[in-house]
Amino acid sequence: MNIYGDQAQYLPLILTDLEDRLTDLNQAQPTKLYEHLIGRVKAEPSMIEKCHRKGYPVTAHSALRECKDAIAIRLVCRFIEDVYTTVAVLKQLDWAQVVTEKDYIKNAKPNGYRSYHLILAVTTPYPDVDGHTPGQYFVEIQLRTIAMDSWASLEHELKYKQNIDHPERIAKELQRCAEELAACDLQMQTIRHLIHQDEEA
Amino acid sequence: MKILVAEDQADLARLLQIAIERQGFTVDIANNGQVAVDLATQHAYDVMILDIMMPVKDGLTALKELRQAGNDTYVIMLTAMAEIDDRVTGLDAGADDYMTKPYSIQELMARLRSLDRRDKQFETGPINIANLTFDPQEQRLVAHTSVRLGATETRVLKLLLANPNKAIPASQLLQVGWESTDGADETDLWITVSYLKQKLAAIDAHVTITGEQSGPFTLITTVGNHHDD
Repeated sequence: MNIYGDQAQYLPLILTDLEDRLTDLNQAQPTKLYEHLIGRVKAEPSMIEKCHRKGYPVTAHSALRECKDAIAIRLVCRFIEDVYTTVAVLKQLDWAQVVTEKDYIKNAKPNGYRSYHLILAVTTPYPDVDGHTPGQYFVEIQLRTIAMDSWASLEHELKYKQNIDHPERIAKELQRCAEELAACDLQMQTIRHLIHQDEEA
Repeated sequence: MKILVAEDQADLARLLQIAIERQGFTVDIANNGQVAVDLATQHAYDVMILDIMMPVKDGLTALKELRQAGNDTYVIMLTAMAEIDDRVTGLDAGADDYMTKPYSIQELMARLRSLDRRDKQFETGPINIANLTFDPQEQRLVAHTSVRLGATETRVLKLLLANPNKAIPASQLLQVGWESTDGADETDLWITVSYLKQKLAAIDAHVTITGEQSGPFTLITTVGNHHDD
């Protein structure tokens, strides 16, 4: 039995549909909101592990209602201010509502992690786990800059690698690196402002 | 270095000015203690040379006022009488060094050169202001979150942070920020100041830098919102 139950078949369809909608949204803007996007349906073993870790019963309800990241899309932006512009656009959508949001750019995690997290409630043509059609599904949206994205992929490697030498030293270097990348993101944004200011003058 | 000389005898003040400028330092002259206090409130000095006996406000009173206001600039007192009491009073009031009149201008210049060498040799420790911690050694800014600084940003911010609420001219910031032969101009400074402003805002520091593109620039504290999570 699949942890997502009867809804398992709809998840890839919903993901593809959302990716298409976001791509259209991106192309409709005067300057594009994000550089690229990447989506995934959380693999069954990961979802089962998450339910165990959170103390939820291993049911479709837990996987689709208690956990809200069965479907997730990452939007990778060029500049920090593009992240905030994109968040503002997502909040205006008529086919999705923002359920929760966490600004880990303004409130960076102690290890240096920076991203903006949104949970959207999306109405779809498919039946949901509560038996409603059209059904409602949760989608996690992660927004970050290219620099934050490459940092996160490196940190991910550290998190899942066992038995590394000097993990505290590596963590400290990663934290320093996150600060340097944050500095670069801010400097690039400043340069962008200076270029546009010159255009106006 | 930028030096303030408080000396009421015009001919002696002029002599000191020429001697100091010959060392390659810049100098401002105050002809009484009150003018010295006013200048020190507006400008960032590396050393202040204060005569004790001056009209309007004597050097000791001026020194006490400046120290009370949080000014920690290095001070050399010029004492007229070679009496121990006078020197003790000066040092107790917050002076770092003294010379008794008549003093040798050569020796005074040697002391300034020594201070200049020391300034360049030793970095200062972390500086705290409002919710901001600035570590010049690590080139790191910490408030709500943290960020790194470049070497030029570090040198420019260090001078601004050591002199909050003072309008520091672009020329002085260019002097500390860049090697003199670099040919850096006000545009370079403006870009550096823009980086600093963006970084201070991004980490939610209750500190910012004000000033038009050509300067002068002033570091000020802002009222922070304390309901951040």
